[in-house]
Amino acid sequence: MTPRPWLHGFLDLCLLAMLRERPDYGYGLAQRLAAAGVADVPGGTLYPALLRLEQQGLAVPGWQPSESGPRRKYYAITDAGRDLLDGQAAEWRQFRDGVDALIEARAPR
Amino acid sequence: MSDWPRLFESELLRLGLQPVRARQLTDETAQQAAEHAAPPADVFGPAHLYARHLVAELNTPATAQRLAPGPVLLSLTGVSKRYRRRTVFAGVDLRVRGGEVAAIVGANGCGKSTLLKICAGLTRPSAGEVRRTRRVGFVPQDGGTAGWLTAEEHFTLFGAAAGMVPGRARSTGVHLATRLAWRPSRKQPVQQLSGGTRQKLNLVLGELHAPDLLLLDEPYQGFDQGTYLDFWQQVFAWRDAGRAVVVVTHLLHDLQNVDHVLDLGASFEEGQR
Repeated sequence: MTPRPWLHGFLDLCLLAMLRERPDYGYGLAQRLAAAGVADVPGGTLYPALLRLEQQGLAVPGWQPSESGPRRKYYAITDAGRDLLDGQAAEWRQFRDGVDALIEARAPR
Repeated sequence: MSDWPRLFESELLRLGLQPVRARQLTDETAQQAAEHAAPPADVFGPAHLYARHLVAELNTPATAQRLAPGPVLLSLTGVSKRYRRRTVFAGVDLRVRGGEVAAIVGANGCGKSTLLKICAGLTRPSAGEVRRTRRVGFVPQDGGTAGWLTAEEHFTLFGAAAGMVPGRARSTGVHLATRLAWRPSRKQPVQQLSGGTRQKLNLVLGELHAPDLLLLDEPYQGFDQGTYLDFWQQVFAWRDAGRAVVVVTHLLHDLQNVDHVLDLGASFEEGQR
């Protein structure tokens, strides 16, 4: 799957996008990233990113009980998080289209 | 289980986190490992490395949130230096704004330290113009401390030169030292400190009076790996607080996060031709 250096710049974007869809907890987000084929994100990368989102007011945590084991910290996106996500999504599309164009370009025969 | 949570928490404290916050992060980390139904070492790797990584991550603002650069705090235009008939460097231009980091690089003997002293106003350029903000902190490569005085006496002395009362200078100095993972002993004269710790003292003294422009001449000589990382973290914290930082360095792998790189070796050769 995606090498880590690529993901680094886009992890926040992916997390915010998933949280906009619905609130979730760390392990759930990791599974959704893997299922989407984006990346297997190790805990040591995922949780600092979530804490950073929380610290910057882009996501707010809440506690919910789980059917198995201890209660879980669920994150929900904030308005500031939505604004940032909209801006970053536009940047991402521009970047993606640019890279695509470079990859598709071929030398004339 | 293991020592993992205890090691993690003590490293967070060593890195200068408040005890309440360190405890909170340790508890959360245990819960996160439980989500994965795995021991923390499997999820996060070695405790002290994850602690450093986490603190660095939490101190890094998202790129989108980095402040727009502030006013120009240092500006060099066409600066050159000659010793007798030898040109050390010529035609050096550099502008550094608040919220930016500049690195001066180049081989030994190309005049990096001389250029930094010109930035600080301690050496006159042979030609060119230098403009700088009024509040400047300068950290020399070595020296600058008095061996028979303690660290706290240095804080008082340097603070007095900047118009700070002794108590405030001492508490500020101790606080700044903590951010470099150093707790100054009250009685130990500076000559008994290791080279790395003396450099920490120099860094603290350079920052004591809250300057807007920080000029650092390879201030990490003698630092171990952990302290070295703390140092760069500190540089970026200054930057994010809106200060301008100029670092002389010969270590090229640190340059990916700086805003300007002035390669003195290259500019000198161009100036010659």
